[in-house]
Amino acid sequence: MGSGVKRIYHKRHPYLFIGPAVLILLVFSIVPIFVAFFISFTDLDLKGLANWSNISFIGLENYHELFRDDVFHKSIFNTVFYAGIGVPLVIICSLSIALLLNYGSNLLFKVFRGVYYMPSITNIIAIAVIWGYLYNTEYGLFNYLLSLLDADKIPWLEEPTIAKLSLILLAVWKGVGINMIIFLAALQGIPKSYYEAAKIDGANRFQMLFRITIPLLRYATFFVTITTLIGWLQFFEEPFVMTQGGPLNGTISMALFIYQKGFQFSQFGYAAAGSFVLFIFIIVVTLVQFKIRKSDTEY
Amino acid sequence: MFTKVGLSILASVMVLSTMLAGCSNGSGDDEKTISVWAMGEEGKKLNEIAKKFEDEHPEIKVDVQAIPWENAHDKLLTAVASQKGPDVVQLGTTWVSEFADAGALVDLSEHVKDHPEFAKENYFEGAAKTMEYDGKIVGIPWYVETRVLFYRKDLLEQVGYTNAPSTWVELKDASQKLADRGDNYYGFDIDRNDQIMPFIFAWQNDFEFDEEKQNLNLDSPAFTEAIQYYTSFFEEGLSSTSEGIDIVQAFKDGVKPMFVSGPWMVNILNEQAPDLKDKWSIAILPKKEQVASSIGGSNFSIFSSSEKVEKSIEFISFMNEVDTQIEWFEMSNTLPSRVEAWEEPELKDNEMLATFGEQLKTAKSTPQIENWEVVGQELLNAIEQITVGGADVEKQLEKYRSEVKEARE
Repeated sequence: MGSGVKRIYHKRHPYLFIGPAVLILLVFSIVPIFVAFFISFTDLDLKGLANWSNISFIGLENYHELFRDDVFHKSIFNTVFYAGIGVPLVIICSLSIALLLNYGSNLLFKVFRGVYYMPSITNIIAIAVIWGYLYNTEYGLFNYLLSLLDADKIPWLEEPTIAKLSLILLAVWKGVGINMIIFLAALQGIPKSYYEAAKIDGANRFQMLFRITIPLLRYATFFVTITTLIGWLQFFEEPFVMTQGGPLNGTISMALFIYQKGFQFSQFGYAAAGSFVLFIFIIVVTLVQFKIRKSDTEY
Repeated sequence: MFTKVGLSILASVMVLSTMLAGCSNGSGDDEKTISVWAMGEEGKKLNEIAKKFEDEHPEIKVDVQAIPWENAHDKLLTAVASQKGPDVVQLGTTWVSEFADAGALVDLSEHVKDHPEFAKENYFEGAAKTMEYDGKIVGIPWYVETRVLFYRKDLLEQVGYTNAPSTWVELKDASQKLADRGDNYYGFDIDRNDQIMPFIFAWQNDFEFDEEKQNLNLDSPAFTEAIQYYTSFFEEGLSSTSEGIDIVQAFKDGVKPMFVSGPWMVNILNEQAPDLKDKWSIAILPKKEQVASSIGGSNFSIFSSSEKVEKSIEFISFMNEVDTQIEWFEMSNTLPSRVEAWEEPELKDNEMLATFGEQLKTAKSTPQIENWEVVGQELLNAIEQITVGGADVEKQLEKYRSEVKEARE
C-alpha cells in the first residue's frame, strides 16, 4: 500500500501537468455528455429546471418524435449539404493559399498572411452585419455589381438553396485562415533537401508538388480534415446570425435546431435527444476517417 | 519544483473558480443591495432613476444590470436553473407565464393589500391580465406598448385618402393604390418576424383565445379568415416578402408608405428622418369587426431565489408611483402602465401619444400560457410556408393547430 502511494508520488509530475486540462475537459465536456444523455430520456423543460420533481422519465419518446420531425430531417440534410460542400472547399482553398504564400517571405507575402488570417479572428456579429449588407437583395454590394453586368438580382439569403450556398461562402471565407496557418507551418517543416534532390533528377514544379509536397503534408491534411469536418457538422454561428434557419428552414443546421428547441422553446429533453444524435453522427464520421487513414501506405 | 507545480495548480483552480463565479452574478452581495435586471434600452437608463430611489431610501442600494434583449431569455433560463437570479427582474409580458409556470416568480398577492398602487384597477385592462398567473399575482406592469398604424400623409393624399384607412377594406384599397404607383413600390408593410401581427388581425376579426381549449380556439373561422387577409398582402404584392431596405429608409423613400409599429418608432423616425416631419402621422389600426391591437411591455417581478422580497417591493412600488412613471416616460419615452399617468398634461396634451392612449383602451394581451413562444413562432413558420413557399393556407393552419395541440399536451 505504502509503496503504491510512493510510486504515484514519484511519478506525480506528468499527472500534475495534465491534471488541470483533464479536469476542465471532464467538467465541461465529458460530464455534460452524460448529463445530456440522461436528459434526452426525460421531458425536462423550464418547470423541470426550476424544480427537479417536475421531471419525468419518458423513455425513447424524444427520439421517436425526433425521427418523425420534418424540421429535424431538414436540418440533417442541410448539415450534410454544408459539410459536403464546405469541407472540401475549405481544404482546397486553404491549401492553395498556403502554397502560394509559401513562395516568398517579403513584406507583400507577410501582409497577405494577415489578410487571409483576419477573417478567422473577426467577431461573427461584425461579420454578420457586413455580410448582411453585402447580401441584401435590394441594395447589397453583390447585387449592385451584378447590375453593372446587367445580370438579374440574386436573392442571396431568400431562397433556400442559394441561402445555403451563401452561408457556405461566408463560412469558407471565415474558415480558411486558421487552416492556412496549419498548412503553412507544415510546409515549412518539409526539408529542403528533398526538393534539391528532385531538381537534380530534373523534376518540374508540378511533379515536386504532387510527389513531394502533398504527400508530406498528409498529417497536416488529416488534422485539418478532421477538425474542419467536426466544425462543419456543428455548423451554427452563420445561420444563427444571418438567417435564423430561414427561409422555410432552408438553412437550419442540426446545431441550430438543437439551440432553437432548447433555448427558444425550452424543450431541453427534446433538444438533448437531438444533440445526442449529432454527437453519434460526429463520432461515427470521425472513426470512419481514422479507419481510412490507417489503411494508407507509409512512406 | 514542487511549490512551482503547486502554485500553477492553485492558479488554475483560482481561474476556474472565478470563471464559475462569473456565471452566477445573481442576488446582491450584501444585505443592503438588491439587484435588478433590466433589458435593452431600459437597462441602460434605469440607473439614473434608481439613484433617486436610493436618495429616498438610504437603507437600500440598487444594483442595476443591463441585459440586451437578445440574451435575456438565455440568461433568465440560466438563472432559473442555477436558482441564482436577481431580486427584481424586468419581464417582457409574453414571458411572464413561462417563468411563472416554472415557479420562478414570487407570489405578490399578500403585498398587494399593503400597496394600493399595485391594484389591478390602476392599469390598462390588457396589462392587468399579465399580472396574474394561476390565481397568483406574479408581476406589476411597468410600462406598456401597443401597435398603431404609421403612414405617410402626403402619399396617402395622392391616392385619395385624407385620413388613415380605418377599415380592412380601406386598408386593402389604399395599399393597392399605393402599390400601383410602380414597380418595387409596396402598399402596406408587414414585419414577418413580428409574432403578434397575425393575432392583431385575428382580434380585429372578433377572434378570442380560449385558454381552456387545447387548440386555443385557433380553429375558429375568424382566425383562418384573418390569416388569409394577412397573407393576401403578400400574394397580391402589397407587402414585400424580401428583407429589402431598412423600414425607416423605405418609409422615407415612400417605397413602404404604411406599416405597423410601436411607440419606439416615433423617436426613431424623428431622429433618422427629420426631413419627413409633418409628412407622416400615426392612427389607430383599421378595424374589421372591432378595433383592436396588442398590448405588450414589461412587468416587474421578483425572482423566487430572492431573499430581499421586502426591499424589492419597495423598489417596485417606487417605480410605479405616478410621478416616477411620468419621469421615466420623459427619460425613456416608454409609455406608463398606470391609467392615471395618462391624465397628466405631459401625456394628455401630446397628440401623437393620445393615439397610443386611444389604442391602448382596445389593446389585448396574449394568453397567459407557458408555451406562448411555440404558439407565436410556429405561426410565423406556417405563414412563411404560405407566403414564400406557396403552401395552401388551410393545410398549413391545420398543421399549425396540431403543433400547438402537441405543445400544450
